[in-house]
Parts: sequence; C-alpha cells; structure tokens
Amino acid sequence: MCAWRTNAWLRFKALIRRRAFDRDLEDEISFHLAMRERKQRSLGLGADAARYATHRRFGNVTLLKEDTREMRTFTLFETLCQDVCFAARTLRNSPAFLAVVVISLALGIGANSTIFSVLNAVLYRPLPYPQPDRLMAIWETESGRQNSAEPPAIADGADWRKQSHVFEDIALTSFTEDTPLAGEGRAEQARAQYVTPNFFHLLGVSPMFGRVFTASEAQDLTQTVVVSSPFWKRRFNGDPKVLGKTLKISGVLSTIVGVMPASFGSFFGDPLDLWVPIDADSARYSERKDHWLIAIGRLKPGAAQSQAQTEMNVIAHRLEQAWPATNKGVGAKVELFHDALYGGAGRYLYPLMGAVICVLLIACVNAANLLQARTETRRTEFAVRASLGACRRRLMRQLLVESGLLGLAGGALGVALTLGGIRIFRALAGDFPNADGVKVDVRVLLFTLAVSFATAILVGSAPAFQASRANLNLALREGERKTTAGKAGRRTRHILAVSEIALAMVLLVGAGLMINSVLRLQQVNPGFDPANVMNFEISLSEGAPYVERVPGGDIERATPLVAALYRQLLDKLAAVPGVESAGMITPFGFGYNFSVLGRPAPPPDKMPITGFREISPSLFGALKIPLEKGRYLNGFDVAGAPWSAVVNETFARRYFPHEDPIGRRLRLRFIDLDQKQPRQIVGVVGDVKLYLPERNPDPIVYVSYLQQDSDYRGGGILSHLAQTLMVRSAGSLASRAAGLTARVKKAVAELDPDQPVTRIMTMEQSLARSIGDAQFYARLLEIFAAIALLLAAIGIYGSMSYFVTERTHEIGIRVALGAQRGSILGMVTRLGLKLSLVGVAIGVALALGLTRVIAQFLFGVTATDPATFVEVGLGLLAIALVACYIPARRATRVDPMVALRHE
Amino acid sequence: MWHATLRLLWDGVKANSGELLRDTLDMLVLKTLTRGAMHGYAIAEFIEETTEDVLRVEEGALYPALHRLELRGLVAAEWGMSENNRRARYYKLTAAGRKQLGAESARWDRVAAAVARIMEA
Repeated sequence: MCAWRTNAWLRFKALIRRRAFDRDLEDEISFHLAMRERKQRSLGLGADAARYATHRRFGNVTLLKEDTREMRTFTLFETLCQDVCFAARTLRNSPAFLAVVVISLALGIGANSTIFSVLNAVLYRPLPYPQPDRLMAIWETESGRQNSAEPPAIADGADWRKQSHVFEDIALTSFTEDTPLAGEGRAEQARAQYVTPNFFHLLGVSPMFGRVFTASEAQDLTQTVVVSSPFWKRRFNGDPKVLGKTLKISGVLSTIVGVMPASFGSFFGDPLDLWVPIDADSARYSERKDHWLIAIGRLKPGAAQSQAQTEMNVIAHRLEQAWPATNKGVGAKVELFHDALYGGAGRYLYPLMGAVICVLLIACVNAANLLQARTETRRTEFAVRASLGACRRRLMRQLLVESGLLGLAGGALGVALTLGGIRIFRALAGDFPNADGVKVDVRVLLFTLAVSFATAILVGSAPAFQASRANLNLALREGERKTTAGKAGRRTRHILAVSEIALAMVLLVGAGLMINSVLRLQQVNPGFDPANVMNFEISLSEGAPYVERVPGGDIERATPLVAALYRQLLDKLAAVPGVESAGMITPFGFGYNFSVLGRPAPPPDKMPITGFREISPSLFGALKIPLEKGRYLNGFDVAGAPWSAVVNETFARRYFPHEDPIGRRLRLRFIDLDQKQPRQIVGVVGDVKLYLPERNPDPIVYVSYLQQDSDYRGGGILSHLAQTLMVRSAGSLASRAAGLTARVKKAVAELDPDQPVTRIMTMEQSLARSIGDAQFYARLLEIFAAIALLLAAIGIYGSMSYFVTERTHEIGIRVALGAQRGSILGMVTRLGLKLSLVGVAIGVALALGLTRVIAQFLFGVTATDPATFVEVGLGLLAIALVACYIPARRATRVDPMVALRHE
Repeated sequence: MWHATLRLLWDGVKANSGELLRDTLDMLVLKTLTRGAMHGYAIAEFIEETTEDVLRVEEGALYPALHRLELRGLVAAEWGMSENNRRARYYKLTAAGRKQLGAESARWDRVAAAVARIMEA
C-alpha cells in the first residue's frame, strides 16, 4: 500500500516536473558514461577508443532513457491527453455534427436527470429528520382486511404509546388541514397540522425560538400553538416579540408559544402555517371513532421493524379484548415512515422514468448513427494511421475518447436543461408531493455523470470496434470505398434508424393515449351547465359562535347561527345585480349509511351506503341540474316541515331498481348516530360530476341545510360548516368575475367579518383542475414524445442523406442510363418507407407490451386503443417520409457528369 | 560450480525470458546495495569486478532496473557528490528492499540447488 503510494507520488512528480526529470536522468547517465570513459582511458585506451568502448558497454542510450521515462510517468495519462486534444480538434472541425450529437444527448440526458431528480426528492433522499430510518408509520388494519392501512382511532394511538416498549415514542399527527383563523389582523384560512405534544421531539426538531408543546395544552376553549417561520414572517413581519400573542383558530383562543425554523414544515413541503396541539387522552376521543390522525413511532436504537410489528400485534390483540365494540378484528401494521409518505409515488414516476430512458436511448441511437456514418467517412484516416504504426487499441481509444467527450459535453448541457426541466416539472406538477424539494443535488449530478459515461460507451463502442477492424488494403484504395463501404456498416445504420423509429413509436403511443384521455375527460358531460358559474368556499369555525362542544364525548352541536348565516347570505347574493341565481353545496362528500323505512332493517354493519350532500334548494336551479322525477327541494322544505330529500339517478337505479323511489322514506345514519327524523324522497335528479375523472357516479342524497340535526359525531359537522357557494352570473364571467368576487366577499364580511372566502374560481376552472393529474401526465409525455419524434426524424433524415451520398455514383450511372426522376425518388423513399414501416411495426409490438404501465392514468381509452395506435403510426410514417423526401430530392438532382467524373 | 550455474542461467534466460533476467538483476542490485549507498556506476563496477567480468551487464540496463526498484519502494535515491566531486544519484536499500532481498535470495537458493541436482544426477 505504502509502496503503491510512493510509486504514485513519484510518477506524479515526474509528470508535473517532466523537464526536471529528463534533465536528472540525463545527468545520471552522463555521469556514468564519464566515469566509465575515465576508467577506460586509465586502462590505456585512446580518447576515441575509450568513448567507443564506453558506449558499447552501455548500450542504446536513447532507448534506455525512453524505457526509464516510460516507467516513471503516466504514459497512459499522457497519451490520453493527446487523444483528448486531438479529439477536441477533430470535433471542432465538424461543428454541425458536434451540435446535433451534443444537443441530442443533452436532451436525452436532461430528461433523465429531471425525472431522476424528482425520484431523488421523493423516493431516494432520506427524510430530513435525524435517523429517519427509525421512524415508522403505524396503521390500523380493518377487520377482515389485512392489507388495509387506516389511521388509528386517536385513543388507540394513545394506548399504543403507553403499551409499546419497542418504540421510543409514538406521536399522532394530521396532514395539513385548512382552518379559519382570526384575531390580530385579517381573517384568513390558515393551514394547520394537528399534532400530539411529543410530535416535535419525536422527529428530532427544535423551535427557532420559544418552545414547543410541553404536555397536554389543548383545552376546549384555550390552547397554545406553534407557528411556522413563513407564517411568522407573513403575518407578524418577523416580529421577535410574537410569543404570547393570540390568534383565534376555529374559534379557540390560541397563544403562540414558539416559532419553528424555516427548514421545518409539512411532510410534503406544502405551505403550513401552524401546529395545533391534540390531547389524545381527552375524553373527547374515548369512543374510539376518530380516525383522522396518523401515528408515527420512533424505534429505540437497535430495534427492528419486525420486532415492532410483533409487539404491535400483541398490543392490537389486547385492545381488541379491551374494546370489543370498536376494535374487534382490528390489527396494526408497521411501515417505514418514508414508504408511508412516498411509497405510492413510484407508481406515477417509474413509467415517466421509463419514458425518459426511451428518449435517451433514441438520443444514443441517433448519436451512434451519426458517429457510425462519420467513422465510415474517416476510414482512410484510420487506415493511414494504422499503416503508420498506430496500434488498434490506440485507434479504438481515440474513438472512445471522442464519444466520451461528446457524452460529457451532452451531460454538461444536460445539467443546464435539467435546471429548466425541473422548473417545467414544478410548473406542471401543481401540488405534487415535495415538488419544492426537487432540485439538482450531488446525487443528481453523479447520476448525470454516470449516464453521460454510459451514453458515451453505448454510442462509441460500435464505431470503435469497427474502426479497429478496418481493412487497410481496402480502405486505402480510394476507389473501392464508395462501393464496399461495408455492408455491415450500412446494415448497422439501418438497424439503428429502425430502432429509433420503434422507440419513438412507443413514446408517441404513450403520449397519444394520454392526450386522448385528456380530450375525453374534457368532453365528459358533468350533468349540469358549468358556464358562467363562479365558486366561492366558506368554512365556518369549528368553535364559537357556530359550534358548541357537548361535554363528555365526540359530539359537536351546531348553533342556529349557522343556518341563519347561510339563509341571509343566499338572500344577499340573490339580490346582487347581475346574479341570475346562487346556490350552495358542501364540499365534503361523506358516506352515510341508510335504511329504507318499510323494508326489513339490515344489521348495522351491512347497511347500504350513500353519498350525502348538504345543499341549498337553490342549487339545482343555479347549476341547471335536470329533474328526472318528482320535484326539486324548494322554499317549503324548512326546519318545521317534514324532512325531504332529493336523490340522484344512480341512487334511484341502485336502491330502487324496480319501484318508484318518490315518496319512500329514508333514515340516514353517520358513524352510528341516526338522524332524528326520516327523510322522504321527493325527487330524482340527474347525476352530476364535480370531479370529471370519476368513473361511476356515486349514489347521492341531497338534503337542505335547513333540515339538519344540530348534533354531529366524528367530524360530520364539517359538511354543515363548509359550503361552496355556486353563483350563476347573468352574463359571461370574463368581465364580471372580479366585480362578483368583491360583492360576494362583501356579503360574507357583512355577516361575519372574521370569515374568509377561499377557493375562488370559475366552475370551468374547478372542473379543469379535477383533470389536472391526467393533464400533467399528458403534458410530460407530450414533451418527451416531441423530443423523441424530433430525434427520430433527424435520425431517419441522417440515414437517408448518408444513403444518397454513398450512392451518388450509382445514381449518376442510373441517370446517365436514362432513369427518370420519379424512379430515383422512388428508390430512396422506398428504402425510407421500408425502414419506417419495420420500425413502426416493432414499435407497435413494444407499445402493446409497455403502455399497460400507464393504464391507471387513462380515461375512456384502453392501453391498446387501436385508434390511437393507427393515428400515431400513420403520423410517424408521414414524418419519416418527409424526413426522407429531402435527401431523396437531392438524389434526383445528381448530375451524372459530376458523379461519374469522380472515377 | 557457482559460476557455472550462474552462467548457465544467465545465458538461458537472456534468450527469451526477460522476466527471470530482470528479477535476477534486481536481486543482484539489491544484494550489492547491502554494502551501503552507491551510484549506478559503482553498482555496475561492483557486479562486474566481483563476478570477474562473467556477468557483464549491458550497463545501460541497470538504470531502468534502478528506477523500477525505486518505484517499487525497494531502494531510495538521492542526489549527492561523488568521490570526484560530480553530482551523482546515490541509491540505498530500504527496509522493504532488505525484506525483498531475503525472499529473493531464498528463492534463488532453491532454484540453484534444484538445477545443481539435475546437473549432478
């Protein structure tokens, strides 16, 4: 080891002090020669004889110097430097070739690095907390469904914490939730995370200043909160005296006790304003029916996930026995927290990675094709070098160095493209998890470097191999070059062109399927008239003055103020000039159980389920939802009247297939709490899609906000507290949206100045947003497919051009013998068409196998949709034909005299 | 006997096996340096005088050998002044070189003994 290091050091010294080394060696040898000569003379030889004898005894001085020098220096390195300089010079001499190859590779590499940086941000990079591999998510599995993974009941989570010995600690947390915020400044919708007090300590984070929650600090009317750094800067202008200030969060007076550093935010990097404490031991959760917080555990050092699973099984079993009513059959499942957060993202991202690998392969094939053609035109050069004594290894290395330079240049430009690509990705991605974490880091750079080298080897090896086998005699005889330029070489180029087309076909089919899906999504009939409708959301506080907590359980009671506010608001809106009608519907589509009166009651766990939407009767008119039977809800369906309901078509078909639902009475039930009064079905309306990708509409029961119980369990009150106002304007929204928004905000503020109005958008925007995922996917695939198409077109153009150049002589003879323009054109395009057809055919076969991976994102088309395949195939052929037409036309212009004179 | 064997080997390896020749030369150089630091000329002189000119090395070959040994860490070199006041490069044995010499001479003894047994058989 030590000797090796000495060796390297000496060699390195010799490398950088090459002159000094040469002089030293010179000195050493001349010293020897001088000594020997003196000795010879002392033996009585004359001056000349002495010198002659000395040299004879010493041997070839130059050769020995060479030997010694070679041994001492990095010969390989030096010749490599020569190769690099030479390669750079040759490449500079053909800038067009250089540009096309480098840009092709950069597009391929850039696309790969972009998607890799996304994968890196969500799948490969460890979570930003100390020892993240010890963090586990703990789920409940439902009875009879071992594979399910549900958030535990809050009280179960608290019990896990008390009983577990494998975990250092277990915390409960929500994801980011919207909550109304007031006090000291304007009312707004804050983004809050509900956490147990040990949450911060468990993750290993500390506040920037102030403190985090110590023990249970959540009471019904007061609590402490910790705020995020962006919120502190935004709402308090970074005031250092923020501690002790109060906010009203969902009506609860909240004192700020700490500010977290900017580096700590929500799990997915979405904006987060504050953390609100949850007391998991509170009597409020004793019924074990609140499944809205997830559990995170930190394993003790050295403990394994399997140990934790074993222990959790025991604890779950214990809870089953202690709380049979809620926990029967309920198990527990331990999963790496990282997987819990991002495990699903791979499903979305790996198909994209596949697509960009496809793009890179096309780029490589393209570059290889160009390099191949170039190598063939350089055969004479290699032959000359070989005959002058360059060994084959050296020639091969020369070519590999060239492709290495091309790869590195492509990689460098690729990094620049990645920076742009990441911006495009973020712009398209919307609320993709951790989209802000997507950036170029060391890992991405290393990946890019590795890809560049792999590319270089892929691109350069075939030409290098061929060059090394160059037949000297053949190559040096200029005349033969034209005709025998190597059948093998031509075949290679054709195979490359075909594979480019095949790969492009795969990507184009993928993009085509996605575009078709988006088109179909845009054509989905939502079941109402979305034009000229504008949406506004209000979400009343889950506290005073709208909600009272009923002591000793998880029941929340809505005050009459809620319905009163809605009634006044709707009246105000209807009176706004330019408003045709205004309705509202809760954005929360909870699932309710129900029983039909007069039918035998099913056991509670077998009760049918339906969507439940609290609305204003005016909604049907505002959205123009068609009435199919009976009547709409109307102004007579008020609190004192018998409760009524309108169901949608799917509900009627599913639950009353052979009878008329009108007049039947339903008893609705949410989390084991029956509604006080039954509801009579008074009408059936058409199915409505507020979310376009919805495949099969759910059965829905619409009821009036005026006919509601005051008591709700398990968060069910949210569907009463949050409402989306849908206001139909009398004319086009384009010019009225701003005015309308101001009017609505004013109307809300007049009723409750602390009430924010959020999610303001037109119905058309809202529907467009619902197909955002499909559109995002389609956009990305479009970009990749466009690059692929461009590269493939360049590829086929290059192949055909080379074909024509190579055959100039032959074409010249044909023209001289009287061949028509058309037949020459035909000869070239026929070959192009043949190659394209083979490529498309192979591409179709590949695509049939590969598009299945995006089946989950498709809508209205199957992964093997014949129409898409045909359209894309024809399109690709057309573009390939255009790409061959240009060289083909050049072929028809060959002047036979010029072509033949060359002989 | 010693000379005869040496000559035999010397002639035999000169023809094709550069490897053995090189190892042998390396061993002789290392052995020579056990007498103290020397410059290249002195090493050549010593080998030739001691073997009474039987082993007349092509003197130039000594230099690649010395540099090779230096690279392998078996000898160390530094510039010094020769007996006649000229700048000369002096080589001396390193600890690793001494160890290597032990191993080489043991191997040499085995080869020589084996050859001798055949010749006397």
